[in-house]
Order: sequence, then structure tokens, then C-alpha cells
Amino acid sequence: MVSRSAAIVEAKNVDYYYPGEGETVWPALSGINLTVAQGEYVALIGPNGSGKTTLLKLFNALLTPFGGEILVQGISTANEETLPAVRQACGMIFQNPDNQLVATTVEEDIAFGLENLALPPAEIRRRVEDVACLLGLRKLLRQPPHLLSGGEKQKVAIAGVLAMEPRCILMDEPTAMLDPAGRQDVIDTVRDLNKRQGIAVVHVTHFPEEAAWADRIVVLNEGQLIVQGSPEDVLTDLSLLHELKLQGPAAVELAALLREDGYRLPPQILHNRELVDSICSLERKN
Amino acid sequence: MFIGTEKLTHTYMPGTPFATEALQDVSFNLQQGEFALIIGPSGSGKSTLIQHLNGLLRPTSGRVLFEGIAVGSNKHELLRLRRRIGLVFQIPEEQFFSESVFDEIAFAPRNLGLDESEVEKRVNESLEKVGMQAEKFRNRHPFRLSAGQKRLVAIAAVLSLQPEVLIFDEPTVGLDAISRKNLYNLLTALNQKDGLTVIISTHHLDQAAALADSVLVLNQGRLVMAGPAENIFNKRKQLYELGLTLPPVTEIMHELAEKGLPVKTAVYTLQEARGEIKNMKRRYKP
Ligand SMILES: Nc1ncnc2c1ncn2[C@@H]1O[C@H](COP(=O)(O)OP(=O)(O)OP(=O)(O)O)[C@@H](O)[C@H]1O
Ligand SMILES: Nc1ncnc2c1ncn2[C@@H]1O[C@H](COP(=O)(O)OP(=O)(O)O)[C@@H](O)[C@H]1O
Ligand SMILES: [Mg+2]
Ligand SMILES: [Mg+2]
Repeated sequence: MVSRSAAIVEAKNVDYYYPGEGETVWPALSGINLTVAQGEYVALIGPNGSGKTTLLKLFNALLTPFGGEILVQGISTANEETLPAVRQACGMIFQNPDNQLVATTVEEDIAFGLENLALPPAEIRRRVEDVACLLGLRKLLRQPPHLLSGGEKQKVAIAGVLAMEPRCILMDEPTAMLDPAGRQDVIDTVRDLNKRQGIAVVHVTHFPEEAAWADRIVVLNEGQLIVQGSPEDVLTDLSLLHELKLQGPAAVELAALLREDGYRLPPQILHNRELVDSICSLERKN
Repeated sequence: MFIGTEKLTHTYMPGTPFATEALQDVSFNLQQGEFALIIGPSGSGKSTLIQHLNGLLRPTSGRVLFEGIAVGSNKHELLRLRRRIGLVFQIPEEQFFSESVFDEIAFAPRNLGLDESEVEKRVNESLEKVGMQAEKFRNRHPFRLSAGQKRLVAIAAVLSLQPEVLIFDEPTVGLDAISRKNLYNLLTALNQKDGLTVIISTHHLDQAAALADSVLVLNQGRLVMAGPAENIFNKRKQLYELGLTLPPVTEIMHELAEKGLPVKTAVYTLQEARGEIKNMKRRYKP
């Protein structure tokens, strides 16, 4: 049963506690309300330990909430029978590319999740072929995954999730361990999937420059959802970010310093290009 | 020479079909008190090189030298060396083996034979240095922490050894903005005030570029560039070809220069960039 609303994943007043030593428990999340709409790209940011990974694991039903409810396409994650449907709709990519590849060839790795869906072999082959084409992995299909670069490994992991035909991809710092070229490749791939296939993305990152490309920014701190809004609003609010011990994109930080020095720059500069163009046009006037 | 290599070659799984030549003929030397960066695309051999520097791997051919003595020449020397050179692994979990954060960080000082009150002091100091509250974290299980918290504990566990040489393999992966800044401030202090030699590999040059004395660039197991930091970072095009990028703020300066503005591009911090843009006007001919 799929809900009529455009929501792909929803957290309704969610609490989560990790069991501690003895009687103690660690509140990792409290009172979280968040809806991710179909086709939306959400960046989830916040300091270390703020609950970002925990929230992704709740969306993927790796954890179930202690209070409140998580719905994936309207289906509660608390229900054992519907777990396969939840996981199929909402796949997860982890930080370390070496921990998520399991098979001996790229091809088998991409097909791994499909094997559990009881699909006919021809359909499995078609899907693997399609996603490999889409992500530029065709040449690598027969290769053992451990020989790939970090960026390629992350793309194989993404291909494995995509083959399940999900509505949403959850990514936990997917570029943290990659070199700059691999990082760019993964970001381009995911943005393209989001734009062209309408797959929703929830992307956890410590890089404000990466978050700046999202449709919406959600900020967690000490297990609470502090603020959410457009990148233009949230990532340019340096007093908020600095108070939460976060940082704005380099262009935003530099623009703020230049404004202190009397540069009359427009308020919503977010990307390098905007800053560079604004400085150039000011200089030309002088 | 303080620490370095002579024609170091490392082959993983030699003599098998999976043989990988991870390092080929790598020679360099660093002086005591230097702050060095190792950069290169993923798979270029950074982690392999780093593990040679404290004798965790044995050369296939060539030598690793510490104060003129070949590393690994005898067991006794190797133990002495590991007390003087502290290494933080790329994956923090790979170095954890204790049941509590306290025991993890206490391992090195206990091993040095310090009495328990001194051990306690070192643990608290080390946690404080990485910005973690000792009371909150000392009894936690090192594996049951957030990604960034694990990395900070791994760093603290090496700081508690109080080594003369600090070698960190991608230390900022998964750290939030404040922890990254805090880590680089700490490394600067240890390097400049206490004269520690610091060697780090990283893909994120944001703060590292401004601190480095020298840079080693690896590509496909070979040392392709080495020298003073300013000489390496001004080779933007060659770094690009290797898939490497400069810090975001340096990229902004390059874009301004490309638009014809008279700015210096060898700028690695926001404050330097601010000063450079402010001074730009003075450089226009009257
Ligand atoms: N397995 C676990 N057992 C107990 N506590 C945990 C566990 N995993 C995380 N925690 C705690 O839950 C809180 C939230 O952790 P989480 O991993 O969700 O943070 P995060 O925002 O992803 O942080 P990071 O940016 O460091 O990855 C933290 O206080 C953390 O110490
Ligand atoms: N334990 C290992 N066994 C076999 N091959 C390895 C091992 N570790 C690394 N390699 C290979 O050695 C090369 C260099 O790897 P590494 O030193 O990890 O590079 P980097 O740290 O620069 O990403 C790569 O081709 C990698 O696949
Ligand atoms: Mg996390
Ligand atoms: Mg490495």
C-alpha cells in the first residue's frame, strides 16, 4: 500500500536511544519531524555525534524508533513483513567504499540485492546492464571490486542500490574517503540521478560546498532538528552555523569577510562563481 | 636525514596473479621538525608508504630509514621506534582493541610503564586536546561511537604516547568543521612549539596547505613530485591532471586571476584571501 502523499520518507516525532552500559541510555535523536518529498535532494548536516547516521539508519530500517514512527512510502518501518519493501524503496550508501562490496566481480556485486527479489535471471541481467550503462561502469563489470578506485567502488555501491529501482537513496558521507576526482564523479552521478530520474536523495556531509547543491538543508544538533531551509538561507547564516560549530562554504565565508571590509556584495552568495562574478563587477565599476 | 626512504618498493602478494606494485623506487627524506603532506589519488600508495614509516610493512626492496638506521633491522629497534613514532590509521576501527575509550587511550602510557595516576592524566589531556569531554566519553565503547568520535579517539590514543613523530593517514575524514580546525591548531602547536615532526596524508588541503613545509605527491606508486609546499601548490595544472585540487579558497583566487584581476593565487586561508583582495586596488596603476 503506497500512500498518496508525495512523501517518500517521513519521520514523525521520532526518538531513538542507544543502549548504554548498565542502566544508562544515550538519547541519539529526540522529537524528529522530517518529510522528504519525491524527487527532493536533502542535505543533512550537523556536528559529529549529532545523530545524522542514526537518522539514516532509521530511514533504512536498520534501526527502529523507540518513540514516534518512520514511514517509507507510507509504510511503517516497525513492521517486520514489510521490511523488504522498505529497503527496496530506500537504499543506503556508507562512508567506507571497502565495507559494502561483497562479491568477487562488479557484476555480481550490482546484482547482489536483486538475487533476493526472486526476479527472473534475464530481468536481473537487464537491470545490471542498465545501471552499469547509466553510471559508466560497463567496462568494469568483470573486474574484482577490490581493484577499483575509491570513487569507482562508491559508484558500484550506488549501482547496487539503483538496480533495486529505489525511490530514495540515503548516503552517509559518501565522498569522505574519496580523492577529489572520485568525489566529483560521485556527486555528479547522484545529482544527475536526482534530476533526471527523480530519485530522492538524503545526503549526509561535512562539506558545506557539497551541501550547497541540495534543494533543502536540514541541520541536526545534539539529536534535535535545529533548522531547515534552502541552501541560500541556511548556508549563508554564518552566525547560526558558527554557533553550531559548523562552517559555511568558502565563498560564503570569504564574502562575509569582504563585506566587513566594505565590499557591497549581494546577500545570497553561495557558490564560487557567484562570488567571483560579484567581485569582478564591483572592480569593473571602480 | 631524519626520516625517509631509499628506493623503496612494495609489492603486495608477490608472486601471485594478484601481485600489486604499490610503491616503486620511492626515495625522499624529511628533516626533524618538518610538517610534511603526502598527497595523491586513491590507490597511489599513500597508506602503504605511511605503514612503512613505522615498520608495519617490510620493503620488497629498498630501505626505510629513521635517524640513519634501517627500520625493521632488528626487533629491539622496532619497539623503540614505535615509541617515538605515533601512527593513526586511515580506518580508526582497525587500531581499536579495547572495551572502553579510557583503556584505548591508556594503552600507550601503560605500555610505557607509567603509574596509573600519570596514565589517567595523559588520557584526560589527550581527550581534551581532541576536543572531547573526558567525563562524557571515558567509559564509552570505542566501537559504539559516531564516525567522527571514533576518529578523535584514535587520534587521542596516539597523542597519549607523546611521540616525537606524528603520522596521520587522512586524519580529517569524517570530522566536523570545528574538529578539523581544532586538529590543525593542535598539530601546529605540537610542530612549532614542541618541535614534533608531522606527516599527514590528506585529500582535503583546506587547512593543511597553509601549514605544510613540504609535500610529497604520489601517483601509481611513484613519487612524481616532491619539494617545498609553495613549489608544489603552484603546479595547479599538473595536480589537476592527477585528479587533485587545491583548497576551495585557492580555487576562488585562481578564478579571479583568470578574470584578469591582479591577485596572487598562492593563497590558502580565508584571511590571506581577504588581505589579497583588499590590497588589489593598490596594485592598479594610478
Ligand atoms: N552503536 C552505538 N552505540 C551507542 N551509541 C552510539 C552508537 N552509534 C552512535 N552512538 C551515539 O549516538 C549519537 C549520534 O551518533 P551518530 O552516529 O548518529 O552521529 P553522526 O551525526 O552521524 O556523527 P558523525 O558526524 O561523527 O558521523 C552520538 O552521541 C554517538 O556517540
Ligand atoms: N592489503 C593490501 N593487499 C593487497 N593490495 C593492497 C593492500 N593495500 C593496498 N593495496 C593496493 O596497493 C595500492 C596502493 O594502495 P594504498 O597504499 O592503500 O593507496 P592510497 O592510500 O594512496 O589510497 C592499491 O593498488 C591498492 O589496491
Ligand atoms: Mg555519522
Ligand atoms: Mg590510503
